Amino acid sequence: MAAAFPLGWRHVEALDTLSAGSRDFPRGRISEIIGTRSSGRTSVLHALLAASTGRGEYAALVDTKDSFDACSAAAVGVELSRLIWVRCGGNAEHALRAADLLIQAGGFGVVALDLAEVAPSALNRIPSTAWFRFRRAVESTPTILTVVADHPLAKSCSSLTVKMPQRPAVFTGHAPFLLLSAQAAATSLESKSADAAVRCARLQKCDAG
Amino acid sequence: MFACIHGPDAARLADSFSPFVEMVDQNTAVFSITARQLGRLKGARAAVAATVEAAILAARNLPGYTFIPPGEEARVLGALPIDTLPPDPELFETFLLWGIRSLEDLARLPSDALASRLGARGMWLQRLARGAFERPLRPQLPAAVYEESADLEHPIKLREPLLFLIARFLQDLTARLKSQSLAAASLYLTLNGSQRRHSLPFPTRDVKLLLKLVEHSLERQPPEAPVTRIRLELIPTEPRRVQHGLFTPAAPEPEKLELTLGKIRGLVGEKNVGYPELFDTHRPGFSRPAKSRSYLAFRYFRPPLEARITAERLWTRMFQGKILQIAGPWRSSGDWWRPDSWNRDEYDLALSDGALYRLYLDRPSKNWFVEGVYD
Repeated sequence: MAAAFPLGWRHVEALDTLSAGSRDFPRGRISEIIGTRSSGRTSVLHALLAASTGRGEYAALVDTKDSFDACSAAAVGVELSRLIWVRCGGNAEHALRAADLLIQAGGFGVVALDLAEVAPSALNRIPSTAWFRFRRAVESTPTILTVVADHPLAKSCSSLTVKMPQRPAVFTGHAPFLLLSAQAAATSLESKSADAAVRCARLQKCDAG
Repeated sequence: MFACIHGPDAARLADSFSPFVEMVDQNTAVFSITARQLGRLKGARAAVAATVEAAILAARNLPGYTFIPPGEEARVLGALPIDTLPPDPELFETFLLWGIRSLEDLARLPSDALASRLGARGMWLQRLARGAFERPLRPQLPAAVYEESADLEHPIKLREPLLFLIARFLQDLTARLKSQSLAAASLYLTLNGSQRRHSLPFPTRDVKLLLKLVEHSLERQPPEAPVTRIRLELIPTEPRRVQHGLFTPAAPEPEKLELTLGKIRGLVGEKNVGYPELFDTHRPGFSRPAKSRSYLAFRYFRPPLEARITAERLWTRMFQGKILQIAGPWRSSGDWWRPDSWNRDEYDLALSDGALYRLYLDRPSKNWFVEGVYD
């Protein structure tokens, strides 16, 4: 099962500029969203969850560090009632086991495994066979298994890698009440099936009023 | 034949005749009666008729004991005034204009002409007046309790034999539910007096699923002592009916999903699995998003990181850096009457590590915390 999953990318505007094929997350494959803090990796994850739940699918988020913000996810259109949230309290082993169980249960549009901010020592303990196992488990299903991390983890088992480098923040307005208004981050998509593309993702935060 | 007793003792008297009693109101009881029981009714304010409604009308409005032979309902009830029928002010006003004063007057009207003028409600009143309206008895039955229990001679120490016994209980209880076209909405398992409740996400009679759920629960929280007393109760409800569609997206099978979530709960804890929900509050992290273009995703540090801050630098146990830009403060407070009230000044902060953090000052304690990172 390798049908592509076209996303709306409503709120990660630059991904709209990519060609249809290169921004599609492949179903039945592992995809990775890689980036450091404030790179926009979580925005891409939220957009993926919003697109999936918006189509009426169910999604699951395995949140290793208990860092998910439901408010900002709901703001970009994630239907929270269609999202199963598993908090693992920082235990990467539990996170991998929970993701495995969710994939085996089947029926999810997206299973997201958030390993960002997890200590490198814990990540190093994950055997590479775990990723092969995930690839085997997901390949016969219509599920997108997405891994969010600081560095690539699945390596050759991943079919799509979205790299999100950091860019400086831009504040606008008058001090001291500046608004964090526009922050640009370069997005690089490395797809095993399509040419790599480099574009900009634009993220915005305006005042809540 | 149906008997109706009217009076303050109606319920008690009716109970002595039949276990299936319909209480029309506090003082009126209707039940099915046999010819042999008729003699015991004499002396009470009661009526016996071929239809339920005729018996009720006669018992309420005629003194003493009344027996209405089948086919004679219209004659016996005919003398009753029209307002003995169930009240309908609009129709009663019409009857008054037509000069109809008694049930006999109403019963004599031609049915077709009455139906064309007063509709179904008028026809229903006429059939009541004729004593010809037939309906089944609606007895109030006590709610069935679906429970099994056992006192064991030898305490059970192992999980397997305990599950074997629970499986037997479940088979019996689900068979009883099936015979009543019902399913289980929740399950209560009491072991040695300690009760545990399982709310099922959907009504089910699937023994394997129920047994697996109990097994996961026992794995997570084994009994504290060898089991000597077991009680299992299923709370009944209407079974689930699902209409599948050809074009609806695939969803996890409820049975499979519940078992999976049960396993994950065993792994990460009961409270760590669910779906997120936002509340109608301004509390940071719980509120519904404002209708703005606030697209910047946020990641929390749970719990917030204690921070030390100077005009130029910020230190936490996870990171430190030079402050490049800071925006704020945005002050917020709320729920001052609760122990978990909040009162704080928020700042957005760009550090030299390239990340954008949300920093806040907890005003009562004057401590600084990094709540999370914009991402």
